[in-house]
Amino acid sequence: MGFAPLDPVLHNQLRLAIVSLLVGVDEGDFNFLLEHTGATRGNLSVQITKLKEAGYVEVKKTFKDNYPNTMCSLAPKGLKAFEEYVAAIKQYLG
Amino acid sequence: MEQDLSAQESLRLIEGMIAQAKRNFSRLSFYFLLWGGLLIAAMIAVYLLRGRTDGWGQGAPWGVAGMIGGIVSWVHGARQGKRMGASTPMDAVIGWVWSAFVVVLLTTILILASKGVDPGPMILLLTGFATFITGQVLRFRPLVLGGLVFWLCALVLWWAKDPLLSTLVYCSGMLLGYIIPGLMLKRQEDGVRTA
Repeated sequence: MGFAPLDPVLHNQLRLAIVSLLVGVDEGDFNFLLEHTGATRGNLSVQITKLKEAGYVEVKKTFKDNYPNTMCSLAPKGLKAFEEYVAAIKQYLG
Repeated sequence: MEQDLSAQESLRLIEGMIAQAKRNFSRLSFYFLLWGGLLIAAMIAVYLLRGRTDGWGQGAPWGVAGMIGGIVSWVHGARQGKRMGASTPMDAVIGWVWSAFVVVLLTTILILASKGVDPGPMILLLTGFATFITGQVLRFRPLVLGGLVFWLCALVLWWAKDPLLSTLVYCSGMLLGYIIPGLMLKRQEDGVRTA
């Protein structure tokens, strides 16, 4: 039996970190993701956009204390992809 | 970068991030300490005012404590909500449990007080219920035990007719069910925040 291919959208350090963080919460804002991933604002923003385009993450633009606030949550498609990714990783590790 | 991630690194990254997200829970110790202190003060006030006012006047310390606690909790919760960058399912469950608790508590007090029945034991039963569930959700044993203490105190309070004994039972319940678990929870929260 061959190994299942790893999802290229998730097989990226920062994108995987973002999705893993969102698995544990209902929703998280940009600063929450920034703090826990240690990424730069620019890179984080780019990767969130890629996850959004893949349909893995839902992004809501809101205001917090009169400042723009980006809220992210995991979409059902993202959760399914994450579960499949974890299963594939486990398969690789035997 | 995409090809650099090995299977083991991926798994480690996933575990690390999920663990970080789990630590992002609301600080609840503040509420247990606030309400524990306020309700002990109210019970002592009721004891000291006994015989000096009518039944409804005796309830005044509870009303004052409830108003102060409600306002302070609301302001603190709103501020904490603004600071928190993420909301967890655990926060939502605990929030709903205590919201339902407030509704049932106020209804119970209204019904029992209008019938001339002391709502004290029922208040402790309900308090034990919400504390026990919160402890189980947080997997924090001192709060689970606190819930059990409240249930035990409710039973004792139901049969205790002496005002001093009732006051002591109620205050002991608050100390063991709210204050001590609250202090232990605060230590844990402080530890997590500085970890």
